[in-house]
Amino acid sequence: MNKITIFLETNRQNVIEDVSFELISKAYALSKTAHELNGADFIVEGIALGQNLDKVSIEKAYNAGCSRVVLIKQQDNSDILCAKNMAQYLNENPSYVVLFPATYFGRIIASRLCTMLDTGLVADCIELDFILKNNELKLASTRPTFGSELMATILSKKNPQCATVRKGIFRADFTKRPENIDFIEYKSDLDYIENRIKFLNSIMADNKENIKEKLAKAKIVLVAGFGLMDAKVDYFKKLKDFAKKIGAEFGVTRKVVDNKICSNDYQIGQTGISINPDLYISFGVSGAIQHISGMKNSKKIAAINIDENADIFKYADYKIVSDAKKIIEELEIYK
Amino acid sequence: MKIVVCIKQVPDVDNIKWTKENNLDRANMLSKINSYDVMALNYALEIKKRLNNSTITAISMGPNQAQDILNYALACGADEAILLSDRAFGGSDTLITSKIISRAIEKYVPDYKLIITGKLASDGDTRQVPLAVATLLDIAAVVDVCDIKNINDSSIEVVQKVEDSINDISLILPALISVCEFNKPNYVPKIDDYIRAQNNKIKIYDANSLEFDKSEVGIIGSPTMVYRAFRPEFTKEAVEVKLDFAKFVSDLLLTNGAKHE
Ligand SMILES: Cc1cc2nc3c(=O)[nH]c(=O)nc-3n(C[C@H](O)[C@H](O)[C@H](O)COP(=O)(O)OP(=O)(O)OC[C@H]3O[C@@H](n4cnc5c(N)ncnc54)[C@H](O)[C@@H]3O)c2cc1C
Repeated sequence: MNKITIFLETNRQNVIEDVSFELISKAYALSKTAHELNGADFIVEGIALGQNLDKVSIEKAYNAGCSRVVLIKQQDNSDILCAKNMAQYLNENPSYVVLFPATYFGRIIASRLCTMLDTGLVADCIELDFILKNNELKLASTRPTFGSELMATILSKKNPQCATVRKGIFRADFTKRPENIDFIEYKSDLDYIENRIKFLNSIMADNKENIKEKLAKAKIVLVAGFGLMDAKVDYFKKLKDFAKKIGAEFGVTRKVVDNKICSNDYQIGQTGISINPDLYISFGVSGAIQHISGMKNSKKIAAINIDENADIFKYADYKIVSDAKKIIEELEIYK
Repeated sequence: MKIVVCIKQVPDVDNIKWTKENNLDRANMLSKINSYDVMALNYALEIKKRLNNSTITAISMGPNQAQDILNYALACGADEAILLSDRAFGGSDTLITSKIISRAIEKYVPDYKLIITGKLASDGDTRQVPLAVATLLDIAAVVDVCDIKNINDSSIEVVQKVEDSINDISLILPALISVCEFNKPNYVPKIDDYIRAQNNKIKIYDANSLEFDKSEVGIIGSPTMVYRAFRPEFTKEAVEVKLDFAKFVSDLLLTNGAKHE
């Protein structure tokens, strides 16, 4: 039996973070694709590390499509220990594919683990698929390349074939509970290693997380691009205030962040937040791939750009060729 | 204290040009030092000011042209510059790049205490190389460092800025840090600095000197491969709005549940 493994990231209360369920459901869909392609049977396995794992989370993992949940028991949660123990487990129980959330901790574990397993890792994928290459199943991981216009699909020559995926790229579907499920507690040889890192003090920056959480859950997002730049009027602030007034969220492109107009907490895209609102409206956004990859799951997309050939219109449901600044000023009057 | 700074030459992404065949127009491309690596270098200069007997080794992997950024590092005050360059290295993915860099550090700076890298390189943005290097060298690492509070010969105390928290962390050396912010002005080298740096020759090492077989590196040695590169095509047909733009947007907002006064 082949398996696809998902790293289950947990918080301080041993609750599994939502992004892991998104990956489980995607892996479940991949297992079906594999079966169609060459009859292979795959199960989805989730691995968490620590002393305990929240019971409700385990049930959610099954519902999202997980057949097996593994808890690797260990004393502390240093990144090196987590990676070493996961490497030991995967050496004894090899997986075909391993997927990680592209979060702060997920990235660290992915980088360390794949180095230990001497295998490749594709970062920040926006699409995952199985394909047949020379009659062999390959995970096709697609990510935007730099320079804004191209996507690259990357394959791994070695197993496990590994990738990281940001929050919000895939959707969790809790109707996929497999017939046979099991839970395994795994005891590794290493319970503790001398910690060379010590956390002395930690301040929670609640505010920031709030901005991102709100954007990720928003129903309407208004996005300001560099096209709103103006020597006299601060249209970024105008749009942000307007968004607040109508109960929508406000986001920006990286170019706006790079020009120090706005903090990167509001950045939408590959290196920012992924959003999937009911309505996305852009004001002076060109439509670079890295931006698109973070908003393409929006249900309705309206784009305002002065250039009728702007790339953003390729992704739009509503195309508005006009001066976005003027529209902002008129909207202020409408409301 | 021996400090290693890893720097990378990247395309100037604001000035990228494409050929008709969807390839990077390398001939007309400008390059620069990755901006996070400038911060890494400045942290090293800062430490050198604080701790006597510190030396800085700047390491870069890349084509011959990457000597430009190593000269810049020398002019800023690095004591030694190493270029890892070989045709065979071309196309190395993050794992192989990390193997090349970590082997160079083991071989040429074996008594290093601290490795400083930038948070990410603007051209790939995978953030994998710093941690892979740390893993290959079997040392501790802290990413997203925004300040150094204390440092002595055996430990360092840093401030880390991540998504939801700001953390004070102490690390026993040797260790690696990747930096995301530098809160002072960067050192800007003067003409004199460049003249002084000219006496300091960049050391160049290839696959052979690093004892790699050519089949272990580059495109052949890398565990990942680019299967295809493409321009995404979309089937969406946008409805073009012709008149009353603001009214249209306003109606769209209202039908999607925007608050009304
Ligand atoms: C590794 C990497 C990661 C990246 N990650 C991200 C990311 O996460 N998110 C992101 O957004 N970008 C990201 N980028 C940057 C991305 O490639 C683009 O540079 C950026 O999205 C462009 O921002 P923009 O559309 O606001 O600006 P521009 O590209 O400058 O576009 C401005 C647009 O405004 C239009 N315009 C000008 N004036 C007006 C007007 N008065 N009214 C209406 N329209 C007007 C112009 O026609 C133009 O289309 C990344 C790049 C790299 C290399």
